[in-house]
Amino acid sequence: MTVQTLDTGRDIEQFAAKAEQWLATAVPARWKNDRGSLTSHDMDEIRREWDFILWEGGYSGLSIPQEYGGQGLGLAEEIIFHVLAGSAQAPDGLARVGKSLVTPMLIKSGSEDQRAAYIPSIMNGTDVWCQGFSEPEAGSDMANIQTRARRVEGGYLLTGTKTWTSFAQHARRCFVLAQTQPEAGRYRNLSMLLVDMQAPGVSISDIRQISGAVHFAETRFDNVFVADSDRVGDDGDGWGVAMRVLGDERGGIETAARYVEIRSDVDALLAVLGDDPRYADRLRDLDIRTELVRWQLAKIADLETAGDEVRLARAGAVLKLMWSELWQDVTKLGVVHAPVAEHHHWTYQYLESRAVTIYGGSSEIQRNILSERVLGLPR
Amino acid sequence: MSNQQQQTTVRYAMTTMPTDFGQTGAEGIRDLVKRATAQAPIATYAEDPHPPISWDVIAGAGWDMAGIVEDGDGATTRDLVEIAREWGYGCIPQPLLPTILAKRLSSVAREANGPVTFALPLGEETLIPFGQLAEISVATTLGTDSGTLISAGDGDSDGLDLVGRGIRSTATVTTMTIEAAREVALVFAAESLGGAERLLADSIEFAKQRMQFGRAVGSFQAVKHKLADAAVAVESSETSLIWGSQRPEQAFRSAVFAVDRCIDAAEIAVQVHGGLGFTWEAGLHFPFRKFLSARRVVESLQRSHG
Repeated sequence: MTVQTLDTGRDIEQFAAKAEQWLATAVPARWKNDRGSLTSHDMDEIRREWDFILWEGGYSGLSIPQEYGGQGLGLAEEIIFHVLAGSAQAPDGLARVGKSLVTPMLIKSGSEDQRAAYIPSIMNGTDVWCQGFSEPEAGSDMANIQTRARRVEGGYLLTGTKTWTSFAQHARRCFVLAQTQPEAGRYRNLSMLLVDMQAPGVSISDIRQISGAVHFAETRFDNVFVADSDRVGDDGDGWGVAMRVLGDERGGIETAARYVEIRSDVDALLAVLGDDPRYADRLRDLDIRTELVRWQLAKIADLETAGDEVRLARAGAVLKLMWSELWQDVTKLGVVHAPVAEHHHWTYQYLESRAVTIYGGSSEIQRNILSERVLGLPR
Repeated sequence: MSNQQQQTTVRYAMTTMPTDFGQTGAEGIRDLVKRATAQAPIATYAEDPHPPISWDVIAGAGWDMAGIVEDGDGATTRDLVEIAREWGYGCIPQPLLPTILAKRLSSVAREANGPVTFALPLGEETLIPFGQLAEISVATTLGTDSGTLISAGDGDSDGLDLVGRGIRSTATVTTMTIEAAREVALVFAAESLGGAERLLADSIEFAKQRMQFGRAVGSFQAVKHKLADAAVAVESSETSLIWGSQRPEQAFRSAVFAVDRCIDAAEIAVQVHGGLGFTWEAGLHFPFRKFLSARRVVESLQRSHG
């Protein structure tokens, strides 16, 4: 065996060592030590502060090019940083949607003015974003968008209801998929609009989940004005812009964060059930599948660098199925078999994890995409 | 091999790609398999006494030497996985992979002209892959420069892995260092991965062609989703072997997991082929049986070396 160097030539070990050192002092002590006694308001405040700390420390937007205020590194560093941040018990910032969806969308499909106006405040943690795609009548059939944006002088008036908007309560802006050409056919009738959440006509209401948590909201737009300059891409190109965003959502950075949570749950199970031979086979399976989420991500990053489109397509298409169904299997073992003292945690995680095979493209949609678009089976 | 050196320095770097050596080797094997089989069904050649690729062609091109490392230069474990996967796709009954391993891991095997194999523990018995071949010799030691080459001796034909043409006997098991045993396990599992890729590809093709109720069975969502699950299994198997080849202490665990996913994919392949799936004629059982054999070999190596 010879030591292999990364194709990118970047020194991953050095990056990891520096990041680990930085995290040891950067994570707020209140979060690390007193999380149990924090109110949800305190927790939100610390999560917001964490976005700023990341920016100051030079760890915001690791895979975003430097010209847009990122660090100009790659998916490999994103994965490692998430893993290290997880071990250092760092908070999860609020800027996730902005960094992993909005910024790549603006880089791929936005205008120079939009990039200049919005990316810096995402990178430095000032502005939180949320995503307005799903609607009550547009779930798996996402193209069935009913929200309308009517043409007016200089822009649009937006009216409709979006659902499952994570971070809506904190968000300064929302990127919204809306019908702008009602007469045009399916997929050609939509535009992507950047909406000010403080504009008159925006209202939000919480959606409580079966776990008891409130991660989502329903967001209503009632004749909200959106300027032409806040449309991403051409009028009628919204579907294409959205599809490129979803590629990111189902992809790398998001999964790295998931890996950290699943790893921590599996470690917790190993700690309490690891010595019991009755669970040895299941724990071994869960432990290996957890590591494979991380290696699948690394494989995707390498195939992307190598430009191997064929293998990349399949490797990417299985990723969400791999982690979402794994996490459900993990929490199921916990909720049934973990000791009484941990019932609260496992009940919450189990009920929380019911959502992951539904949002972000349900498991059924994932299997359709994989079998039709990647394996080439007939529709 | 600078095994220990790598283990102690690599904590976070996750290199998943083979080196140029492995990539070139795998491409060469892929071409060889493709030209020799002309995409013929496995059943047309798996039991043929004259396989579609002769040993002379293999040795003439030097493929049996593909694993040899000289002055630190040569195939990595990751490279072997990539090469074994391409070979496994063909299900060609020639002792290429045991010979590559033997010549990599034994200096006496390196001197031998013909194919070389080794004797694997299988519970109370010994399995010698390709022990049915008259011209094959068996390395008594892998991983150190001691040992000799002996004949395979007598035994019963292995009835499980028909492509592997092995014998079961009570011969002495080949002595392996832990590093050697890990590579053997990974290569056997990677050969299965290639077979699973083949079963997936053949099943997709079948589901596109086979008509029932006036439409291709592959257009039914129930069938599509099964094949999607087979694709997840094959991806997981590959990623597991990448992990095991880069983290030697995980080699056995990763190989067992990888072969289990190949078996998952084979079960789906049989189901998707319907009535044909469980016939000898269709030939899905050649890779399927190989997976079952590999599963036993890998677990047995884990038990003796893990």
